[in-house]
Amino acid sequence: MIDRRMGIFLAGLFVLAVVVPVGNLALAGQPVPTYLVALIGKYLCYALLAVALDLVWGYCGILSLGHGAFFALGGYAMGMYLMREIGDRGVYANPSVPDFMVFIGWKELPWYWWGFDHFALAAAMVVIAPGLLAFVFGWFAFRSRVTGVYLSIITQAMTYALMLAFFRNDMGFGGNNGLTDFKDILGFDLAQPATKVGLMVLSALALAGGLVLARWVTGSRLGKVLVCVRDAESRTRFLGYRVEHYKLFIFTLSAMMAGVAGALYVPQVGIINPSEFSPANSIEIVIWVALGGRGTLVGAALGAIVVAAAKTVLTGALPEAWLYALGALFILVTLVLPTGVVGALEDTLSRLRGTPPRKEAKA
Amino acid sequence: MTSLLRALALLLALGCAGAAAAQDFAGLIAALPGGSYADRAKVVKDLGLTGDPRALVVLRALEADDLKVLADGTPVIVNDKTGAAVAAVDGSDRGTPAADSLDRVKVNNAVRRALRSAIGMLTLRDPDPARRLAAARDALKAADPDQIEALDAALAAETDAGVAATLAEARAAAVLKSPDAAGPDQLAAIATLAARGDDAARAALTPVAASAKPDLAKAAQAALARIDEAQRFWGLAQNLWYGLSLGSVLMLAAVGLAITFGVMGVINMAHGELVMLGAYTTFVVQQVIRAEAPGLFGWSLVIAAPLAFVVAGAVGVVIERGIVRHLYGRPLETLLATWGVSLMLQQAVRSAFGPDNRDVGNPGWMSGAFHLGQMQITWNRLWILVFAFAVFAVLLMVLKRTPIGLQMRAVTQNRAMAANMGIRTGRVDALTFGLGSGIAGLAGVALSQIDNVSPNLGQNYIVDSFMVVVFGGAGNIWGTMAGAFTLGIANKFLEPFAGAVLGKILILVGIILFIQKRPRGLFAVKGRAVEA
Amino acid sequence: MTQPIGGLPPVAQPQLYLDGVSRSFDGFKAINNLSLVIEHGELRAVIGPNGAGKTTMMDIITGKTRPDTGQVLWEQTVDLTRLDEAATARLGIGRKFQKPTVFESHTVQDNLTLALKADRSPWATLFRRGSAPERSRIDELLALTRLGDHRFRLAGALSHGQKQWLEIGMLLAQEPRLLLVDEPAAGMTDAETMLTADLLKSIAGERSVIVVEHDMEFVRALGCKVTVLHQGAVLAEGRLDAVSAMPDVIEVYLGR
Ligand SMILES: Nc1ncnc2c1ncn2[C@@H]1O[C@H](COP(=O)(O)OP(=O)(O)O)[C@@H](O)[C@H]1O
Ligand SMILES: [Mg+2]
Repeated sequence: MIDRRMGIFLAGLFVLAVVVPVGNLALAGQPVPTYLVALIGKYLCYALLAVALDLVWGYCGILSLGHGAFFALGGYAMGMYLMREIGDRGVYANPSVPDFMVFIGWKELPWYWWGFDHFALAAAMVVIAPGLLAFVFGWFAFRSRVTGVYLSIITQAMTYALMLAFFRNDMGFGGNNGLTDFKDILGFDLAQPATKVGLMVLSALALAGGLVLARWVTGSRLGKVLVCVRDAESRTRFLGYRVEHYKLFIFTLSAMMAGVAGALYVPQVGIINPSEFSPANSIEIVIWVALGGRGTLVGAALGAIVVAAAKTVLTGALPEAWLYALGALFILVTLVLPTGVVGALEDTLSRLRGTPPRKEAKA
Repeated sequence: MTSLLRALALLLALGCAGAAAAQDFAGLIAALPGGSYADRAKVVKDLGLTGDPRALVVLRALEADDLKVLADGTPVIVNDKTGAAVAAVDGSDRGTPAADSLDRVKVNNAVRRALRSAIGMLTLRDPDPARRLAAARDALKAADPDQIEALDAALAAETDAGVAATLAEARAAAVLKSPDAAGPDQLAAIATLAARGDDAARAALTPVAASAKPDLAKAAQAALARIDEAQRFWGLAQNLWYGLSLGSVLMLAAVGLAITFGVMGVINMAHGELVMLGAYTTFVVQQVIRAEAPGLFGWSLVIAAPLAFVVAGAVGVVIERGIVRHLYGRPLETLLATWGVSLMLQQAVRSAFGPDNRDVGNPGWMSGAFHLGQMQITWNRLWILVFAFAVFAVLLMVLKRTPIGLQMRAVTQNRAMAANMGIRTGRVDALTFGLGSGIAGLAGVALSQIDNVSPNLGQNYIVDSFMVVVFGGAGNIWGTMAGAFTLGIANKFLEPFAGAVLGKILILVGIILFIQKRPRGLFAVKGRAVEA
Repeated sequence: MTQPIGGLPPVAQPQLYLDGVSRSFDGFKAINNLSLVIEHGELRAVIGPNGAGKTTMMDIITGKTRPDTGQVLWEQTVDLTRLDEAATARLGIGRKFQKPTVFESHTVQDNLTLALKADRSPWATLFRRGSAPERSRIDELLALTRLGDHRFRLAGALSHGQKQWLEIGMLLAQEPRLLLVDEPAAGMTDAETMLTADLLKSIAGERSVIVVEHDMEFVRALGCKVTVLHQGAVLAEGRLDAVSAMPDVIEVYLGR
């Protein structure tokens, strides 16, 4: 089931998960600085998010411009737990509500915050909240056969509406500033390098797990039906497949995966705020997948890591250049690399071997 | 001629106070420094009622703390820069007295209130009708029975109908307060105020509604009910206006997008940035005009509009020929590539003009506002509405009456068939994209008048314009119009209940639900070619 | 197999029953008061000029298009006008399209596998694995469609005629009870056309088949009852030679 390219990637991930902790914690002189650990952890979360998007876009042709919303919802669920973990160590030392609620004059925890001091509930919400949103949204959208650019646009509207909502102070999620100033997670101090290393390794595990799950789903007969839907939706219906159910399944699964990515992301970057919902963020996810190669899973993960790393480097060194580079990337990839780097590599390899190249995937 | 008449009328009005008043004036000025605060307030008030323009100078000086008293008890006005003093009563020169030889004329809050009201009364004779109107409004708010005489005098002299009406209303308010006004007079006053029908009228009428005189109270209650109704009506009308205005902005921003989407099936994510280019074109035009020919500033928008159309249109054609053309039949890829273009355009503008808001001015005919009933309408919004309709009409003509429009419609309905009939779809695509982009540029000129001109300008409109297109249905600009105005008005009618942000969220959710029912919008293009 | 010539004999239990069906698009009546009865196991050819409404008729039977008026009954009980494409397919109505549509980025074998009759729910599909009977059924279909050598090729790489065959194979894999076949001979050689005719003849009896075709040779080879559609309504019905002798039909096909 695990093909060669995924084998190589997983092996690389394993090496990373060993080398980084050792380099940071065990070796003298700390060849891997702690900030780098957190950075790598962040990229791995992005990679998982990209895999989630690849599931719906690469395999089912649903170009979601709102996947950032699922990521952010997972992040908020985790952020709420982390806020409750602060307890009375906040600036206002209020044991019953977080600082930002004290600030806007709330005396009691609103009902939707109940139970978030239990990690188990928060962890469940990490997948339930985005999954539920995706299910409800998808149920409406797919049932009425909204497809193509129309679907893309309303997914964008979805995340935009959520962004506006989360910006509001009286939503009870910290408004503009979001949730931040986290202290610890399950009792581990978030400022400690060991905690950061642990989170990074966890992210690597989650990415590996996500890839294997995605591979299993796409390799199954259901995965093949998804490709049918992508390439000839109407024809698939005439074979008796209820296309909307398949779309709903993969969209919800993908949203949950994105939620997990968001949940791992938040403790590593230390903040979650409404800008994560911004439409521009969601479109950036798409370019990760497009660059790596949609419908390749590993390509999507690699694309996310490469683009995110490039962003870190460029915005630091040449802030002006970043948007040019990103914009050019969008244009070039769509014009000259429609199958992405991994797709192009495989085509070249198979041409060298003399086997016919795989057909270009359709949008 | 008219000014002469006005001066005569003024003199006549003064005449009724007569020679006695002239004496009075000197006496009042002399009495100003003495006595308690209450006395001073009384003197100030009486000065206001003299209607004497000289009193205005003295009262203004008192307000600015420039009225001093010489050691001999003469009130003088001291120029606070030069220290030169003139007698308050006749303006004769009193040299430059030493600062420590002067006494201040002190005021407390009661005196200050009296001052404001008195200055208001005197301003009723100001040559500028706008000032007189403001003074009349103040008098209406004050509703002081003592002012009735002065108001009558001003009313007799007033030549401006609008000011006269307000004066009459101010008088009515004062009459209502007056304990010794006659019953019929007060009933007439209630009618006058009811006709005015706004908050000021309500404030004047509310105490009367609880009056001991039953007929008065009843009339006032009826009047208040009428005012409620009028206010509800005007509130609705004002909301409708805001909605229409927002709708016109949305239509301008979306109609170009709708054309490219309809004809080419392509979502141009850089549309917002083309709007932004239009706004920056306006900025540049204004900069050049400010530097080279300030006299032309009033024409700056008229000059900027065609330029913006050309700039944005040219960029659009470049995008189409360079990128979109190669992605034909892959709408999702086109969406991504044009998003790339939008990022680059944003950064280019940021590099060239900086990240901050640039100042684009309103020409005179674009600034200010006027009242229609109780509704306030700003000129810039009104002109944008007119402009939006003009653009729409021209576009409609282009699509309906010109060969290229015919070809566009053919391609919209069935691209393959149009190609078979010898229409050069490539050329049609380029022109369509150019036209859509050019209109975006025009939208930018309009938006520069009401919104901040910054590199993010386009991003603020992109989601909304998409919603308009999705809601109205692509491929039919009537749909865009209907969509834009429906959304604009719905937005403004939700705002009072839900607040701006929640209202917008509700609209978005509404559209997401709507598109379930009509996946192709209000005005969908039908046919097999579309469904394929 | 042979159908009575001339007027409709009363059919006791029709499999498919269309009565007074009309559908218009923007005022244009694509289907106009169409009535049609298909018996169990019947083979029926439908001919008619371009735009006669043949494909639209199939759209209506399969739930892709809703009629404005009229009745469409399956097995006398099921109202097909209320069902969508997936539901009619699950009832056992299989369809081959005028323009062959196969899943181009899947192999020939996968195309057939996905068409095999089975539980279509996502959950069942997620966990299903290949089985021995499945494999032998695919072998059979590959042999029948003579695509055995192309088993692992991507369907997108096949020629037009091969795609037609693959689609026929997929149709058979569904084991439908009624086959709607839209212009199957397009893009086939003469020999292949005859093979297709034989195949359809052999299928009929066990299953019902409605074939739309322009190719008169092909229709003649089917040797079945023919329905002539014109402007969305039935113009004539009967044996091919009888029908093609009718003045109305001649005018529609040759006149003007
Ligand atoms: N969805 C649709 N929208 C508009 N017109 C349609 C649609 N479906 C079919 N038609 C029209 O109905 C008529 C019949 O078409 P069709 O059934 O394809 O004819 P045939 O298959 O007999 O050649 C044609 O004129 C076609 O344009
Ligand atoms: Mg047909």
